[in-house]
Amino acid sequence: MSEVLRREVVYLITAITTIIMFVEFFFIGTWSAAEELRTWAIIIANIALGLGAVRLLAEHVRNIQRRRAGVWPFSIWLIILFVVMFLSGLTGYAAKHDPSSNPVYNWLFKWPYTSLGQTLYAITGFYIFSAAYRAFRARNIDAALLLIAGCFVILTNATVGEVIWSGIPVIGRWFLDYGQVPGMRCFLIVAAFGMLAYGFRALLGRERGFYGEVAGE
Amino acid sequence: MSEELTFWEKLARIDRRVFYWILFIGLMVPFIRPLGLAITVSPSTRDLYEELRRVQPGDVCLINIAFGVSAWPECMPATAACTKLLIRQGAKLIIIGPYYDVDLSYEELKRRCAEDFAKLKYGEDYVYLGFYAGGEAVVAQLASDFRSVFPTDAYGTPLDELPMMKNINKATDIRLVLSSDTGDWCSYYIRQWRIPYGVPLAEIGIAMLGSEYMPHYRAGILFGMSVGVRGGAELEKLIGEPADATIRMDAINISHILVIIAVLLGNIGYFASRGKRR
Repeated sequence: MSEVLRREVVYLITAITTIIMFVEFFFIGTWSAAEELRTWAIIIANIALGLGAVRLLAEHVRNIQRRRAGVWPFSIWLIILFVVMFLSGLTGYAAKHDPSSNPVYNWLFKWPYTSLGQTLYAITGFYIFSAAYRAFRARNIDAALLLIAGCFVILTNATVGEVIWSGIPVIGRWFLDYGQVPGMRCFLIVAAFGMLAYGFRALLGRERGFYGEVAGE
Repeated sequence: MSEELTFWEKLARIDRRVFYWILFIGLMVPFIRPLGLAITVSPSTRDLYEELRRVQPGDVCLINIAFGVSAWPECMPATAACTKLLIRQGAKLIIIGPYYDVDLSYEELKRRCAEDFAKLKYGEDYVYLGFYAGGEAVVAQLASDFRSVFPTDAYGTPLDELPMMKNINKATDIRLVLSSDTGDWCSYYIRQWRIPYGVPLAEIGIAMLGSEYMPHYRAGILFGMSVGVRGGAELEKLIGEPADATIRMDAINISHILVIIAVLLGNIGYFASRGKRR
């Protein structure tokens, strides 16, 4: 199949899919083809999960083969854990149709994974704290306004704000209701129009990035 | 030779490790002496609570656990409080989640609501369908045909064999959806459930999502919203069972105060040293 024809087929599939999903949204339940397409999308997403795992392994095997500086020891560690989790889950599933029936899998998931996940997330708090100190400087009038509004909102979100002064949450709420909400609303509406424009461009075959091509090529 | 820094310049250039230690020590204070400051309930949390109170016995509610274990401290308290409330209202629950560690979150939810779940019978009062992949497409498909996404529950039992699921197969069979998440999942439910089918929807999110979903709440698209740990603490207050979020509010208060102090110190140092340079 020539390159041009192959490209046209991709455009055609995209256009047909878009039209089906678009029409179905406004006439719900009238087009079983839309449901069928969504089922395909779910199947593809599940296949992608497996594909992602294979791709991850391939990447880290390559790191080890090439002895990439500062990376390959971690790649070995990743592959070891990958194999342990995979095999322990598989044996649990084979035994009782439940991966967590294997105590090794269960222990790894329940204790190291949970603790590490929560620790990593909590550590961001320390970075935010030091970043706030370094970045929140009233270098000009705009930065000063942002700083003042930010301080009121921070103290509004914490109950200690109203303990310090009952006016803090009132002012903080004012910033949220008359500053943040309208701003976010504008952003959402503009983004929605942008999505519409992007959708039409993709539908007409003008949005080449969508097909893995670079504009102008 | 390097020029010696003045006091004000030093104030504007405190090493980050000093802040790490200050925060670390500051966060220990509530463990030694809890502050226990009063918690006022915000309108979005109260609306969430009021709507859950209107749920009738037998109504089927969907709980979407769209957060991983790392977000348990922020999302789990509010999710647990809402789950308790729904169970006490006599609602039937369907629990699902798009994160691969949803099994852990489900077990944790059951542990936190152990007394309430003990009164329920699996398959009749609640079902756990488990993990689903596919982003917005799968949320759209769930709205039109549950069984095409979940032919069985998480334990391999076909949905038709679960008494509770006999007549449940699409969005219009669901009384309301609680989307507890750290990302875009509530947006998917807004676009694929709330707008086309009119299913009432609420968000239980991390604090960062408060700003993203507040316009939806104010527009009436979401019937309520719980924002971060504070939302959890407010819900715990409303159901009369102070728990994790109420305790964590002390840490939130101390860390927020420390951030304000750090910002003030930084600015004092910045302005004083700038004035001196001039």
